[in-house]
Amino acid sequence: MIGKLLTSDFLKIKRKGLWFLTALGPIGVVALQMVNYGVRKDYLLEQSEDDWGYYLLNIHSFTPLAIVLGIAILTSFMASIENETNAWKQLIAMPVSKFTVYLSKFSVLAILLLLSSTLLSLLTLAYGVFLDLGDSIPYSEIMKYGFYPYFAALPILALQLWVASVFHNQGIPITIGIFGVMFTYSAYVLPDWMIWKWPSLMNEWDEPLMNVMLGLGIGVLLYIVGMLDFARRDVK
Amino acid sequence: MEYIVQTENLSKSFGKEQAVSNINLKIRKGEIYGFLGPNGAGKTTTIRMLLGLMKPSSGTIKIFQKDVTKDRINILAKVGSLVENPSYYPHLTAYENLEALRKILGVPKSRIDEVLAIVRLKDAANKKVKGFSLGMKQRLGIAASLLHNPELLILDEPTNGLDPSGIIEIRNLIKRLPAEYGMTIIISSHLLSEIDQMATQVGIVSKGKMIFQDSIEAMRKSAQPKVFIKVSDAEKGWRSLVAHGIKAEHKDGLISLDECSDEKVAHIVQILVQEGILVYRVEEEKRSLEDIFLQMTTGEQLI
Repeated sequence: MIGKLLTSDFLKIKRKGLWFLTALGPIGVVALQMVNYGVRKDYLLEQSEDDWGYYLLNIHSFTPLAIVLGIAILTSFMASIENETNAWKQLIAMPVSKFTVYLSKFSVLAILLLLSSTLLSLLTLAYGVFLDLGDSIPYSEIMKYGFYPYFAALPILALQLWVASVFHNQGIPITIGIFGVMFTYSAYVLPDWMIWKWPSLMNEWDEPLMNVMLGLGIGVLLYIVGMLDFARRDVK
Repeated sequence: MEYIVQTENLSKSFGKEQAVSNINLKIRKGEIYGFLGPNGAGKTTTIRMLLGLMKPSSGTIKIFQKDVTKDRINILAKVGSLVENPSYYPHLTAYENLEALRKILGVPKSRIDEVLAIVRLKDAANKKVKGFSLGMKQRLGIAASLLHNPELLILDEPTNGLDPSGIIEIRNLIKRLPAEYGMTIIISSHLLSEIDQMATQVGIVSKGKMIFQDSIEAMRKSAQPKVFIKVSDAEKGWRSLVAHGIKAEHKDGLISLDECSDEKVAHIVQILVQEGILVYRVEEEKRSLEDIFLQMTTGEQLI
């Protein structure tokens, strides 16, 4: 059942620009460092003994923003496919459970974002090698900065999908998305419990894995709450 | 015969507003059930509840003798539907739109070409639906509802926005389906003429209540002309007519009769005069189906 819905949902995102955005996010993040290192590489290499580590920190300074902004746009696009002509009623009148419909939407987005994260890791590695930052390539650190923010951002994905599929007025999820980006931008001053801080991997204990665990736990929780609420509502 | 669709005291309220109250639908296999009522009478809300899109506030719905709230998925596998305005994905072609639904239903790919042929959209199969006219979108919606060869087809205002030739086409298609595929069809409309030309059974709703449910013949019968006779003493006149074996009714000083050949009217007047009752007026009232529909739905006397 979920397989059928997934292939159907992947067909529906055709020509909607979701694939393009999926690639644009990581490309943008690495491209910013291309500009940064292109303009002042010598200065940047002087800043730290650990050139790879410093480079990854630079990359990571934009990853959370890209993810949070990407989530807001992708979820809104995804919901707009059904909202535009109220195709929800056609979809829900099919022999499918509302839970599966919601799970499929969430899965498509989670897969797209996972692809983004993979692409980010690959591009980070490629540009790092191109910059000739040293022979001992820190593969695990690259993966960490590529995928940790993704897991830490799952609660935001769950929240945005919920809001976007429940409210037909896309102004509401977009507004929440913009606030989310602003929160993420000021992650440094946010308290640890704010979900928008998590993709930055910062916390009181300086333990990024903590954000990953919280992201997975609260992400699943928010997903379930959203799904139950979606299933409870009448389709207009 | 058993009912394909049966609702019992089906009600739905939005806050304080009662959209549907105590509707008892009874639809048998192979029927074309015309669901008739003015705009906002509760037709679409009822249909949404049949499809499990909305939960009833109270009452039960049984489709194929199964409860919709419990067996929704099994039931919907045999139900095709088109609810209100057609839903479609404008950025996809007609073919891709059907493909997205076909994947969920799990029917063979050849069905897409078949249903496109049925609604005569084959030439536009690879065009984006964005550029379709309303009539074409409507036809695409009907094609989508036929994809899985449903046993029950629920069409909400399917001829909305179609041009006259499109309406005739859809009408012929709908009439064909029960005979050729053994489908049962529920079709809602606010146009009586539309239902009159297709339906075998009619249900009329007004302000959320079912006010008439019977065969279309029974409805036509009530549209036959009646003769009203205004007399000095209706009660006495009625008695004497019944005593002579003539079927009549009396109300508000009027005697009303169903059948009205000239000879019969003459005979009745003669009887009344012989009984010493003064005959003031003899009137014939012709009522069209539209009149009856209006009278039923507005609750006003049109006499």
